[in-house]
Amino acid sequence: MAAKTRGNALVNIKRLLQEHYQIITSNRLSATGLLFIVIFMVVAIFAPWIAPNDPWEMMYDSSGEFASLRSPSWQFPLGTTHLGYDLFSQLILATRTTLLIGSVSGGISILIGANIGLISGYYGGKIDEVLMRFTDILYGMPFLPFIIVLISLFGRRLEFIILAIVLIIWRTSARVIRAQTISIKQRQFIAAAKARGCSDFRIIYRHILPNVLPLLLLYAAFNIAWSVITEASASFLGFGDGETISWGGMLYELWLSGKTRVAWWWFAAPSICIVLLVTSLVFVSRAYEEVANPRLRKR
Amino acid sequence: MLEYVLRRLLYMLITLFAVASILFLLFRMLPGEATLQVISPAMDEAVQQRMKAAFGLDKPVWHQYLIYLKNLVSLEWGRSFVSAQEVTAIISYRFWNTLLLMASGLCMTLTLGIGFGIVMAWKRNSPLDVAGTVIGLIFQAAPPFITGLLLLMIMSYRLGLFPTGGMYPPGERPENLIGLLLMPAFWERIVLPTITVGMYYLATPMLVMRDSMLEVLGSDYIELARAKGLKPSTVMFRHAARNALLGVVTLASIMVGFAVGGQVVVESLFSWPGMGQLMVESAASHDYPVAQGTFLMLAILVIGLNFLTDFLYSYLDPRITVSSEGIK
Repeated sequence: MAAKTRGNALVNIKRLLQEHYQIITSNRLSATGLLFIVIFMVVAIFAPWIAPNDPWEMMYDSSGEFASLRSPSWQFPLGTTHLGYDLFSQLILATRTTLLIGSVSGGISILIGANIGLISGYYGGKIDEVLMRFTDILYGMPFLPFIIVLISLFGRRLEFIILAIVLIIWRTSARVIRAQTISIKQRQFIAAAKARGCSDFRIIYRHILPNVLPLLLLYAAFNIAWSVITEASASFLGFGDGETISWGGMLYELWLSGKTRVAWWWFAAPSICIVLLVTSLVFVSRAYEEVANPRLRKR
Repeated sequence: MLEYVLRRLLYMLITLFAVASILFLLFRMLPGEATLQVISPAMDEAVQQRMKAAFGLDKPVWHQYLIYLKNLVSLEWGRSFVSAQEVTAIISYRFWNTLLLMASGLCMTLTLGIGFGIVMAWKRNSPLDVAGTVIGLIFQAAPPFITGLLLLMIMSYRLGLFPTGGMYPPGERPENLIGLLLMPAFWERIVLPTITVGMYYLATPMLVMRDSMLEVLGSDYIELARAKGLKPSTVMFRHAARNALLGVVTLASIMVGFAVGGQVVVESLFSWPGMGQLMVESAASHDYPVAQGTFLMLAILVIGLNFLTDFLYSYLDPRITVSSEGIK
């Protein structure tokens, strides 16, 4: 019996994955987005093995000369910084940091946002009132200043940056998922489930959750994209983790060094990566937008 | 209507109070003790005690909290740890600079966004429509400091068309707002930050305008206007666009909240002497009274603007006020 249900669960998961793979690949733009995200993920996972040099090692070229501010060449595919650091290696390792921050804070924030939205929308009344007033208060917080203040108070460390982002970014998903939950709650199959004596927990997570899933995934992608942008912005302003390198941090170093006038390659690589990753996430999310909002499909 | 406005006003005050309280908690309770900046542990024990008493730090927390609230209301926001200037004085100068840049950025976003949105819906599925969508989304995906840096590198460093930053040439601080607005050097300097902010937020109103235009274009009265033989441009701009605008207004409330945040990056990049730059500088130098005051002022700005757009929305769409629970 137990084995059978487990088998069923596996089949279900497989079917679910297939379904979502189809949703994403049915649209050319979101399929391209998915491809880029997969590439970035592979780079992030194998970063230490891909990067040819230590990102904080002063490089010398083949003739033994100090390689400061070199434009891209065979030896240094993305050029070097004014201190002779290899930008290609920096970029590869930075991919890991950025993806880690993006996925962890995006993931946790959608968990919080979805649960608050589901509970608030399902129960209504006092619970809804309290949770939504709380969300309203968060909406009163200016976004980036909130994160900067938290990081400057807690300290410039990776886990605090993630914490700061999570604490504020869930607000949008909570509001949106609450609205969707309220509209689903009024459908007949929920009344039927109640009549059968299903517990609130079961109704929320077995009956309502699957129906808000496309919207949830849409906002998961948004939250990840927003986390990436936020981390990059905070790092650029000097509120990144000094120990690890991120794309935003690379641009901060460029800005600090004052070499913006000459080192276009130093600017190009991390900027293109940030834009590419965020655009990919947005395009993937647009595939879910069409599922979550079928009216868009006609256009 | 009046009841609705009063209720929103009450919510706004409660939110403000809550934000101020959270701020108090953050700055007083956290491990990175703020007082260390002023009262050094190296000082004599007695001196430390006396200084704590002078700052009211010997009192219980709830008493400190009451003093804090009283000071906030009576606009005594303390003095900067760094320059010893009154926080309110520093902020009031910066406030208008931020508002100037925000206003010009939002003007650009809304004009271009609404204009392009109409044209894109009109020429739907044309290369123009696709190009507009892609360009808008790319600029939205690029954090403003990337767009800003790119503009700086091309327009200032390479072509030398615009100054690299600031609001006026060093040492030529104008007497007042009018003096500032009459300076050609000011207009030269506001162009790049405005484009940066404007492009960043362009996609949102543009795509919303396009979508709501498409929705409106399907309705009967547009069909009728067309059947009357009106020019296509008249139908688009006079008949359809008016109703489609509502969607953009709803969005404005979300946008202003983000716009205040985006300001932080752009001001720092272009050394624009506004509250965003002040926020970054004071947080980086652990100048807590200034950081706290600036944060509070930015929060007031966000909350106030949210209230204004809510109000505007209910004015434009009277159906909203029918519901007794406010905007859903």
